[in-house]
Amino acid sequence: MAKQNDTRQKNSTGLMALVADRSFYVLGVILFMIVWQIAASLKLFGADFSEAFSPLAAILALIEMIKNGELLHHALPSLRRVLVSLSLAVVVALPIGVLVGYFRRIEQLTYVVFQFMRMISPLAWMPIAIIIFGVGDVSVVFLLWLVAIWPLILNTSHGAGRVSPLWVNMAKTMGALDMGILRKVIIPAAVPDMLTGLRLAVGVSWIILVPAEMLGVSDGLGYFILDTRDRFRYDQLMATIMVIGMIGYLLDSANRWLISKFSWKI
Amino acid sequence: MTTESTVLISLRQVTKTYRKNGREFHALRDCSFDVMKNEFLVIVGPTGCGKSTLLNLMAGLDFPTSGTILLEGEPVTGPGADRGVIFQEYALLPWRSVLKNVELGFEFRKNPVSRSEREAEAMKYLDMVGLGYAVKKHPGELSGGMKRRASLAMILAIKPVILLMDGAFNALDSKTKMTMHQEITRIWETEKNTVVFVTSDLDEAVKLADRIVVLNREGSIEAVLQNELPRPRLGSAARDLDFHHRFIEFRETVMNVIKKDAGLRTCAIS
Ligand SMILES: Nc1ncnc2c1ncn2[C@@H]1O[C@H](COP(=O)(O)OP(=O)(O)OP(=O)(O)O)[C@@H](O)[C@H]1O
Ligand SMILES: [Mg+2]
Repeated sequence: MAKQNDTRQKNSTGLMALVADRSFYVLGVILFMIVWQIAASLKLFGADFSEAFSPLAAILALIEMIKNGELLHHALPSLRRVLVSLSLAVVVALPIGVLVGYFRRIEQLTYVVFQFMRMISPLAWMPIAIIIFGVGDVSVVFLLWLVAIWPLILNTSHGAGRVSPLWVNMAKTMGALDMGILRKVIIPAAVPDMLTGLRLAVGVSWIILVPAEMLGVSDGLGYFILDTRDRFRYDQLMATIMVIGMIGYLLDSANRWLISKFSWKI
Repeated sequence: MTTESTVLISLRQVTKTYRKNGREFHALRDCSFDVMKNEFLVIVGPTGCGKSTLLNLMAGLDFPTSGTILLEGEPVTGPGADRGVIFQEYALLPWRSVLKNVELGFEFRKNPVSRSEREAEAMKYLDMVGLGYAVKKHPGELSGGMKRRASLAMILAIKPVILLMDGAFNALDSKTKMTMHQEITRIWETEKNTVVFVTSDLDEAVKLADRIVVLNREGSIEAVLQNELPRPRLGSAARDLDFHHRFIEFRETVMNVIKKDAGLRTCAIS
């Protein structure tokens, strides 16, 4: 937040100042690439960390993967799995979160169980997922769903729980019934927290996606990592890692933008 | 000044106790008085004497520990759109624009009101409180006085028979306060509603009230005083020397009642 304000202030002092300010973000990326390239070229991390691992090789491999369609072939299933599991998580977690946040008894009933569950890595459920759903897409989506619901539930309940009693009383004196209070006061008040929950959920889902796709599916970025390793195409491996990082960054930026759209100050 | 003397709200031996650290604590003790139809009733008293509690009970947001509150003869069982409350703290929804806040009351209606109709009605009341120029702003961008006006428009839009106002003009500068006094008096005279108005500002009480209920620090009623000052009391009328004299005189009377309650000198003239 502080950084955003910073750039906004500089905005008023002129476009050049803004460009100069923003260029530091780009500079950081370039410096990182240079260090990486030097480390690979000079074999700083040992003889095995060869040219194939360098950013130059990775970028060339990336262009090749874009051209022959391999990138899309693996990125799309990954995105699809994350989006499906997130949608299912939102549908389940938001109502639960609102109920947990609004009714103290429900909060008490679920508190220990939820805190306990959210600390378990979804990969620990993997054998159980495979027993229930078999090897394949459904298991992956299930694991992603399982990791996404906790931040959504906990943030939503936090938001619904700290709704000012003043707003609720005000709505009551204006003739609102329970449904009206829920729809016009509680839920809108919790939206910023829901979005924070969504941002965290997208983050963990994307992180868990790669190991989850190493479990017996035949496409997706996680699968492709293992595939490139088996084919000794370390340049493609590095390119895939770059793509995973970039998509993750874009997803998170989209979430940040959404949060900034819906935040209100008291 | 009550032209019709029909009783609208009647409180009988209303007592409210809270538990504080395991001990019973009396916020209100044995309060009995009536609010007449179309009356402008002002409640004054030192801080913590139970004024907000009293208003909450009338609003139906809380219930007396003992005693009864009747609204047109029926016991109050909960809040309702017939009683609009302006709370001591601002109660605007921060994610809605001023206009959308004022429209809120229509959205709670059983029979849906069309969007354009809602907007037109809301605009009418925003113009009435002189906030027509800031309807697109959000509460976070408003000054204290503007928030008060917005709350007032929000409550007026639900057309309450009774307006319960808690410290509505506290912490406003004297000029804004003066304008708000004119507005509320004008609205009360044209809309013909009943106002119960809580304040700790004696000048304000004397300017606005038909009757003044003085609460003491024990949470019981010290006196109910009839205000015989003629209306209009604001603007040019206030410059009349005879009027000014009577104004001071009545304020003195109220002051003396308050002073009887020992140690209360602090609650006074602002
Ligand atoms: N929910 C509550 N629980 C416990 N005590 C309360 C509660 N609400 C009010 N009180 C106490 O009851 C007394 C009366 O409170 P109230 O808010 O009605 O005072 P007030 O006259 O409105 O004061 P002010 O002029 O400062 O607004 C206070 O001593 C307060 O601490
Ligand atoms: Mg109060």
